[in-house]
Amino acid sequence: MLLLLAAVPLVASACLGLLAPWAGNRLPPGSAVKVLATAAFVTALATGFCLSIVAFNALARIPLIATLGKWSAAAAGLDGTPPPVGGVVLGLAVIGLLLAALRRSARTATDLTHAVLACRRLQELSDGLVLIHDPVPDAFALPGVRGKIVVTTGMLQALTAPERRALIAHEQAHLAHHHQIYIQAAELAAAANPLLYRMPKHVRALAERWADEQAAHDVGDRIVTARALAKAALARTTKPARQPAVALPATDHQMANRVLALTRPRPRPHPRLVSALLGLALISAVSSIWMAHTTETKFEHAQQAYAQTARNSH
Amino acid sequence: MAAARGRPRGGLERDVLACLAAADRPLSPTEVLAELGGDLAYTTVMTTLSRLHGKGVLTRESAGRGFVYELPVPLREVPASVSANRMRRILDSGDDRAGILARFVSDLSPDDEEVLLRLLSQDPPTRER
Repeated sequence: MLLLLAAVPLVASACLGLLAPWAGNRLPPGSAVKVLATAAFVTALATGFCLSIVAFNALARIPLIATLGKWSAAAAGLDGTPPPVGGVVLGLAVIGLLLAALRRSARTATDLTHAVLACRRLQELSDGLVLIHDPVPDAFALPGVRGKIVVTTGMLQALTAPERRALIAHEQAHLAHHHQIYIQAAELAAAANPLLYRMPKHVRALAERWADEQAAHDVGDRIVTARALAKAALARTTKPARQPAVALPATDHQMANRVLALTRPRPRPHPRLVSALLGLALISAVSSIWMAHTTETKFEHAQQAYAQTARNSH
Repeated sequence: MAAARGRPRGGLERDVLACLAAADRPLSPTEVLAELGGDLAYTTVMTTLSRLHGKGVLTRESAGRGFVYELPVPLREVPASVSANRMRRILDSGDDRAGILARFVSDLSPDDEEVLLRLLSQDPPTRER
């Protein structure tokens, strides 16, 4: 029973990882980001919790620990508890994952702090718009307390007025909808649960799509938004003045997919798919709570059994 | 044509600034209006320009019966632009390990470049309505 319950969040996170790309193509990107990031975070938390409970159960069978805890080692071993050696292995795994999650959180906190400080230093023209006088086309959003949109003159010159509006609306959408929170939640989930290792990539790509859709909605024209994306991407690649940066090989066709998605109608809401994904998170949470409850009951019995034998031996 | 939608508060200021930053000469309110297009009233654009001038964001000079507006000439090595450029270097070098910065467009693979060029050359673009 114990191992069965512990398997639930593991299976749920594996399903979530497998379903993410498929669901991302079907759901409106906004709901996809929210649902996937939330579900990933909850299942990762439940996985860690369940694994720690199994590890605790297994270690509790060690006679020395049982004596210290004043429970019967034999009673602690009931309910399909794995042998102590399994507890040691699992315990080490849980500690490893916990450390990975902590390291990830520390990195996020440092980088976010740097971003917020940089954001405060940047002098905006008006309403969070920061202009860099540079012919190299570039634009990005910098999250902060209010956030800033940084854009070069080169980027603005590559676009027409409606396309510039789409660009600014896109970056504004990143800030207004707090995309960072979802992305960092997915990163944290992946650090704590390796079964979700591809989730951050999906959530990032979907956050870009979300901002694209929001921009298309704000400008009121999908094609203008698609053109803005295409022209900006081409301007960046073909500009010879650009420093040959550590160019990540773009093999995932993200830009082409984003532009093509805007030439098609906006994805429809898909409440059943959303419920299914949230269901995975829910059963993980329920199974971890259930596990905690059965373990508590088992240890109450084990302590009673211990007290019983102690009395009998007197 | 696309439906004219309300701009978010402050959205117009940003659009006006982006328009002036893209132009390499001072623009009159009429020219800004022509750039930004349809759904705006002349007075709205003029009010926005003079408000931005009032805040010290824009410089203006008289031309004919009205004013032309432009962004002030940037001073080299302004601390603000130095730190903005540092952010860009962080993006380029892949040092943004937590992925805090979101760039508008990512790099293109050669076949994506072809796809996008083909899409842009479809002129006038097919609009789905």
